[in-house]
Order: sequence, then structure tokens, then C-alpha cells
Amino acid sequence: MTVLEIKNITKTFHQNKSEISVLEDISFSVDKDEFVCIVGPSGCGKSTLLRIIAGLEKADSGEILFHGQPQKSPNPKITMIFQLFGLLPWKTALENVEIPLEVLEIKKEAREEIAKSYLRMVGLEGFENIYPHDLSGGMKQRVGIARALALQPEVLLMDEPFSSLDELTAKTLRTLVLEIWHDPSLPTNTFLMVSHNVEEAVYMADRVMVMSPRPGRIVGEVRVDLPRPRMEYLRAPEYFHRVDEVVAILEKGKH
Amino acid sequence: MRRAKQAVAFIAGLLVIVVMYWLVMNFVKNPEISSLPYYTFRTLLRITITLGISIAWGVSFGILASTNKTASIILVPFIDLLQSVPILGYFPVVILFFISLFQGSEIGIEISAILLLFTSMAWAIFFGVVGAIKGIPTNIVESAQSFGLTGFKYMRHVIIPAIVPALISGATLAWCDGWFFMIAAEYVMYQGNIYSVPGLGYYLAKAAYVYNDLKLSGILLVLITAIVLYLNFLIWHRLMEGASTGTYKPAIKMDLSGVGKLGALSPSWLHLGDRVHRPKSLILFSKWLKRYTRLEKVIAIVLSLVAISFIIYFIAGRIPSIEEFQKAFADPEFANLPVYTVLTLGRLGVAYVISLGIALGMGILAAEHKKVAAIFYPIYDIGQAVPILALFPIFFVTFSRAFGGAFGLEITAIVVLVLDMIWYMFLNVVSAVKSIPSEIKEVGHLFGFKGLKRVTHLVIPAILPAIVTGSILSWGTGWNTIIFAEYMPYELEITGGQPLTLPGLGSYLDKTGYLPPPKGNPIRLFFLLSLIAAIVLLMEGLVWRRLLRKFEKYRVEV
Repeated sequence: MTVLEIKNITKTFHQNKSEISVLEDISFSVDKDEFVCIVGPSGCGKSTLLRIIAGLEKADSGEILFHGQPQKSPNPKITMIFQLFGLLPWKTALENVEIPLEVLEIKKEAREEIAKSYLRMVGLEGFENIYPHDLSGGMKQRVGIARALALQPEVLLMDEPFSSLDELTAKTLRTLVLEIWHDPSLPTNTFLMVSHNVEEAVYMADRVMVMSPRPGRIVGEVRVDLPRPRMEYLRAPEYFHRVDEVVAILEKGKH
Repeated sequence: MRRAKQAVAFIAGLLVIVVMYWLVMNFVKNPEISSLPYYTFRTLLRITITLGISIAWGVSFGILASTNKTASIILVPFIDLLQSVPILGYFPVVILFFISLFQGSEIGIEISAILLLFTSMAWAIFFGVVGAIKGIPTNIVESAQSFGLTGFKYMRHVIIPAIVPALISGATLAWCDGWFFMIAAEYVMYQGNIYSVPGLGYYLAKAAYVYNDLKLSGILLVLITAIVLYLNFLIWHRLMEGASTGTYKPAIKMDLSGVGKLGALSPSWLHLGDRVHRPKSLILFSKWLKRYTRLEKVIAIVLSLVAISFIIYFIAGRIPSIEEFQKAFADPEFANLPVYTVLTLGRLGVAYVISLGIALGMGILAAEHKKVAAIFYPIYDIGQAVPILALFPIFFVTFSRAFGGAFGLEITAIVVLVLDMIWYMFLNVVSAVKSIPSEIKEVGHLFGFKGLKRVTHLVIPAILPAIVTGSILSWGTGWNTIIFAEYMPYELEITGGQPLTLPGLGSYLDKTGYLPPPKGNPIRLFFLLSLIAAIVLLMEGLVWRRLLRKFEKYRVEV
């Protein structure tokens, strides 16, 4: 079943009277329970694309369909985690998770309960009253994940969620994200991630969409049918085969 | 094309000003009107000379203080302490000294005017230079060292390029400070005599107080504003645009504490948007506040005590005796000091709350809505070009005609204070809102924050550090203004030929400084000055530093 449909998205930035074409006719769709990853060189507009899907930016033309309905503004069913975590520094971990619930006008006790349970899920029990300033990068991203999950979205968008973390932390968090994706008790099961790390994309995704440098176009798609969990395949030739395939498309897309 | 446009603006602006002068000189009737160009020339010359001196001093001492550790330990806290004393407060001392030195000749008054202007202009340049040198990224310093750049070459290739933007912005601030203090410096009533040097400030004061001609003072104010605006656009805007490219820390805006009207920043800073990297200066600023060790503070206090006793000695001619101390504090008004302190703090507080409220509303709107900005920026542009102290005589004459003397003065004081304090707050709010990281704004958008909820949960917490910085600057300039604003020494018709005072610390300081003995008394004057400096430092330590430290955590890490 198709959850998200991206149809002919085009976007141009205007700067100092010159026009910079960022996205050119992007179309693809994401199915229920699917994990899709968008890979591309930096500056190819993949983050802009994700923001358009989230409703944070407007496309010049084309549309985003969520269960067939056009999406124009942010929707609690589609939520996002950020590269730099996007935590409000003046709120504690717990308050940060409560924010989206507060906007939905859920009562104080109820939202505290919900927020606490999600913080527990991402392994941050006991850190509820700590400010982001005093949390490590990995912990901040855990708060970011808890905050996104607290809304019980169907779709989770991730904008290079691990690229500002050290590799060891990133590894742990990738596992956490995959566990969340697998967890049948959670409604959040359709994942769309933006990354510039090909290995990460092949390791995590069912399908890797490859974008060209600016103006960003989809230049190819690699289906990753390796069985999960993939930890044991990380040294397998099948895995490297997929990685090479993605890299080859990336290279070709440059010309 | 751009060049042609600039040339047109240059000539058109000049023409407008020439026409204005011609109109004023031909249609305004006043015995001194024909001297208007001469007054303009004298004021311009005075401010330019002082600017030159300030730059020379600020650059040399700034480089010294930031490259030499010993010099820094002695200089920086000392200068910081000096600038926490309201400039207008120690003006009587300066005047007394130079008038007696030159036996009342004009050169003595001229030198004290320049010295007053200098003390208002030099800090901005000094701290700008120090901040810029401290702000040179370590990797640049290290790479310069590894390539063997030392001494003069290091100065030429690293230090000088680093301080140019700060120098230009510091000089801009200093230039505007100069206009701010001009009116106070050119026309002074001291011990019953009026000491003045020819200039626009002198003429403006005379128009209001001597000729009692509100129309003329209004016209002069418009003229002054036009000249300031014209020169701002002509020189500073251009220099600033030129300086903000090609350096690794563009258009450094230093934020400095204590008293000192930093005058006007031009909105081109705001338009430059992302190029002006304000959070960095905020970080620098808060580091600055936390930096003093106990040793530095002790050295600063000892040094200033030495300086103060030196000056007292100079003025009294010898070390004062115990009887003289007793005499100094025998003044009957001295018992009112606590009440005066509360009243003055109250006035400042009221003006601060008003300007904070207006600046927050205006600033957030202007930063987030282009259409509102299109209305506010020109207002800001003109508003900040008006020398606030120059408004004082005009407001006073207007309000006291409407409400009577004392109440008129009270209203004038508050209005002038608000007009003086509001621009710092506005500028800080606008730039802080503009520099909220896009991720934070996106989070707000994603989770559906709107309207008031967005402002209270997202915008205000994000700009709290900037609000504190703006508050420090506002209070600093406010202290200066209130010394001017509580006291109306001239024997005007409206006040029934009597000097008029609002009970408060500012007016008491003025009386102690400017009136003949026994009311005037140098020892008490120093006491009152130290009291104000102590209040300023106390507020900085107890309120602002604490708040800054608390809000440090709130800074969004990018």
C-alpha cells in the first residue's frame, strides 16, 4: 500500500536576482512498512526535498500525497528528526518531548506520562530533567527520536540523523532506529531517510534512491533485498555489491 | 550602475542639505542665524578631531591590551571600571580642571569638550579592537605562527586585517556617540556661569534656553539629523559594506557593558543579515563578563582609588583634611540619598520596561515580517540618527508649556530615556530573532507552534541572551541620560526664572558638580560618582552576569 507519493516536485531558489534550480521533477513513492533512503552528493537538494515532504517548505510545482491526500503544511502523522537534533535548549529533555503534545493541547499529566514512556523507550530514563546543553550528541538525538515518536506518526522523516554523531554512537542509534521501525507495537513504520553515507543507506534501507548533483534529479534506484538483521552481512560480498551499485549510479549522475 | 547611483545619492543629499541651509538662513529670524555654517563646521571639526584621537588611542591601546598579558591585566579592568562611571558625571571635574588651567579662556573649554567627547568615543573603539583580536580564530593564529609570521609581519597580515571591520564599526559607534554628547559638551552651566564653545549643540541649547524659540530648535534638530543621516550613509554604510567582505569575522559588533552611549548602528547591519554574525559576539561578550579573576578586580579597584585620590589631590591642591570630609557630607540634602537612589532607579526602571516592551514587539515583528520591516527600518534609521540629548531642550520646552515645569521635566526625562534606551533593545532583538537557527524555527513549524505560543515558547527564550545584552547597553546609556535629564539649570521663563530639578541621584550629582560651594563639593561629587559606578557594577554582577550565565545554556549550538 502506498503511503507517500511524491509527484513531479520542482523547486527553485531565488537569490540576488539569480535563480538556482534545486530540485527537478522528483517523483517516487514510499510503501507502508518500507524503509527508503535518499542518497546524493551534498547540495543536491535532498534535505530540501525532505522539508517539502514534511510541509516545512513549499514546492514550486508538483505535489505530495499522503494516503492520496495532498499535503501542504506540517501534519502530526508525518514527523521528522533533524541533523542537529532541533532541540529547544531552554527546555529539559522531558519538556522537549512534551512540546508537540502541548501544541495538541493534551493535559499536563497525560503528556508527561507519554513523554516519559518514550524517553524510556529510547533509553533515557533518569535524564528527564536534564537540559540539552548537558546531554551528549547521541543522547540529544535520542530525545529527538522520542519527541518525533511521541506524536505516534505513521511516517518518520530523518534528515541525516547520524551525520553529526561519532561513528560508534551512530552505530548504536542506527540499531535503535531499526528496532523502532520493526516494533509492531508502534504505529510508526514508514521511514524515509536522507543520507550522504552510502554504506549507512544500504545497511538500513529497503530501497536507496540516488540523486544527482544540483539540480537534484532521481538518477537511479537500488533495491536492497538483503535479509535482516543485516549486521552479519556487513562483510559480505552481497552487501558490497549493493554499495558499489549505488556508488556507480552516483558517479554516473555527476555527468 | 551602482557607482552612478551612489554618486547621484551623494550629490542629491548634499543638495538637499545646502537647500535646507539656504532656506533656514534666509527665512528664520535669529541674531545668530548667519553663523550657522560656521557652527556646523566647528562641530564637525570637533567630532572629527576627537574621532582621530580616539582611533589612535583605541587602536594602540587595544593592540597593547590584547597582545601583552601584563598590559591586559592592568588596562582592561581599569578601562572597564572607568567606563562604568557615567561620562556626564565627571564632566564637571574636567571642566573645573581645564578652566582653571587656562583661566577661563575658550581653549580650556574646547579641550574639556574634546575630552568629554573622547571619553564617550574611545571605549567603543578600544573594546572593538580588543574583541576583534581575541576573536581571531586559533587556527589562523597557529597557522601564522607555523609560517613564521612574527612581529611587524604578524601585525600587518593578521592583526590589522582582523581589526579593520571592528575599527570601522567602532568608529561608527564613536561617531554617533560624538553627536550624542555634543550638546552636553558645547554648552555648560558651571557655578553660575555658562561656558560654551561655538557649535551646533551650543546653538541648539541657546535656541531653546536663551531665545526660547521652539521653532528654531526644531529646525536645528532636523538639520542635525539630516547631517548625521547623510554622513552615516555617505561614509559609514559604505565603509561597513566594504569591510564586511573578505575578512574571516565580518562586521564585528562588539557588545560592551557599563555606561557609554554607543549611539547608532545603521540598519545596513540588519540588512546584511547572515553576514553579521551576532551570536559570536554574544559569546565573546559573556566570556568577557566571566573573565575577571579576583586579582584583576583588586588591581582595578586599587588603580582607580589611586586615580581618584590623585584627581582629588589635584583639584583640592592637597590631601583633604577630616574637616573637609565632614563639610562635604554636611549638606542637608545628603540624608535624602537613599530616596534619591530609589527615585532615579525607578525612573530608569519605568523607562526600561517601556522600551523593552516596545522594542520586543517592534523587533519581533520587524524581524519576521518583511512588510513591517519596510516600515520600521526607516523609522529606526532616522530615530537613531537623532542625537537624543538634543531632543531634551525641545521636549522640555514643549512639555513644560503643556504640563507645567516639574511635571513637564518628569515626562521629558522618561520620554528621553525611552527614546534613548529603545534602539539598543530593538537592534538586539531584531538581530537575535534573525539569527535563530533555522532548525529551531522548523521545529516550531513542524509541531504547529503559532502566534503567541510560538513567541513565548520559541522566540523569546531564543533571544533571551540578546535581551540581556541589550538591557546592559540600555541601562548604561540610561545612566548617562538621566544625569542630564533630571536637572534643568537654566533660568528660564517657563520655570519662573528658577533652576528646576527632579529629586534624584542625577540631579544631586549635577548640583554637587556644577553649583558653587557649599552645594558644589568635589569630595561629595567623587562620592556620588563612585556610588553610581558601584550601582552599575552591582547590577552587572548581581543581575546581568547571572542572567547571562543562566541563559548560556539556552544558546543553540550550531
